Amino acid sequence: MSRRILNVVINGERHELLIEPHWTLLQVLRGQIGMMGTKENCLEAECGVCTVLLEGKAVNSCILLAGQVEGRAITTIEGLGDPEHLHPLQAAFIEHGAVQCGYCIPGMILSAKSFLDENPGRQPTRQEIREALAGTLCRCTGYGKIVDAVAAAAQRMAGKEPTP
Amino acid sequence: MSFDLHRPSSLAEAVALAGLFGPGARFIAGGTDVVIQINRGKIAPAHLIDISLLPGLAGIAATAEGYAIGPLTTYRTIERHAAFQGPLSALVEAAAVVGGHQVRNIATVGGNIVNASPAADFVPPLLTLDAVLDIAGPQGDRTVALRDFITGPGKTSLGAGELVTAIRFARLAANSATAFFKEGRRKAMEISVVCVAASLTLDASGTRCVSARLAVGAAGPTALRPERAEASLAGQAAGLTSFRDAGRLAAEASSPISDVRASADHRRHLVAVLVERALTRCAERIAGARP
Repeated sequence: MSRRILNVVINGERHELLIEPHWTLLQVLRGQIGMMGTKENCLEAECGVCTVLLEGKAVNSCILLAGQVEGRAITTIEGLGDPEHLHPLQAAFIEHGAVQCGYCIPGMILSAKSFLDENPGRQPTRQEIREALAGTLCRCTGYGKIVDAVAAAAQRMAGKEPTP
Repeated sequence: MSFDLHRPSSLAEAVALAGLFGPGARFIAGGTDVVIQINRGKIAPAHLIDISLLPGLAGIAATAEGYAIGPLTTYRTIERHAAFQGPLSALVEAAAVVGGHQVRNIATVGGNIVNASPAADFVPPLLTLDAVLDIAGPQGDRTVALRDFITGPGKTSLGAGELVTAIRFARLAANSATAFFKEGRRKAMEISVVCVAASLTLDASGTRCVSARLAVGAAGPTALRPERAEASLAGQAAGLTSFRDAGRLAAEASSPISDVRASADHRRHLVAVLVERALTRCAERIAGARP
């Protein structure tokens, strides 16, 4: 079982890594690259804290073999914004107090981004937002404010409300 | 735990690799079942053959008879497919309850079928559509009905090195609709306690059943078609009485187990309730679509 070269674009940056065939994308992100924003928990695609975007779509990095993302583009929470340039979702989560312990938040924000990007410009219902986030668990029970934040970010991203 | 990962770029190459490695090889697409099974030690393949790069196996095509779904089509694609939002909406309803968005963005329909879980949500709607599978393999191509393909929990008639290449079904007759209902212990991210799909065709007046096809998941070793329940509806007035009778017959036809999710009695009760509910929803949909 030989190591192999993996070429992958993470947050717009090309990486060439030496990986074992059984490593998951989560193991590569945290163990090889040292990006700790993507969290590790259930390792069975139940909880969603490991969510990243694969070509813009939310997937569970804990059960995605790194060898299967050769040549593809990954976005992690580190690639979404920084303290000076928050993504509208990040800004809305802060404004709405949607973060308690914070462990699920990278997965929440990336799940929400994947969902909102599917229908740009359309304001989703609260029920649609809840369904979109169903694969991402918050054990602080903070869903109400998380849904508020995603709804507000959707409005802002659709250009219906000016960014403060 | 380790294996070699192979990434063929053609169907012929994938089948040849599977033939070369024999029983030590497994195909992988989205990986949402395979990787978990490897991590749990349920399977230990020496070779994984990644079929996600094979051309022409993802997407939904309209055909002369109906539709052909590529095995690499994701659940999210099914959910959002415009042509399935009408009479075939049971496909959308079932696709929409497979895992969360993250799983549905990558998990494939073909993978869910060959994984052959008795609780697979997408299998009952396909059974009510009399879906057939096109299969390619080292011995050549063949076509098999989905109901003959799944033979037991985790078991299929797939031979060594064989791959599903298409899932096909015919268009529905006029005055038809489908519906899917699932009962779990919570609303999302749940393995079905029982799931039921129905496909109902009414006569031109919209009052009498011409034919019905039912399928029940998670209430037996494989998803089943309760044939006596289906036959009981032919020629009957569409309504509570005939739908409730069909539900009772479907419950009698099922052979559920008691497990951590529910007792066998509770499952049987759910079959009756969900069959009645699914048929009622079909009738409402047919009425709603009438000019």
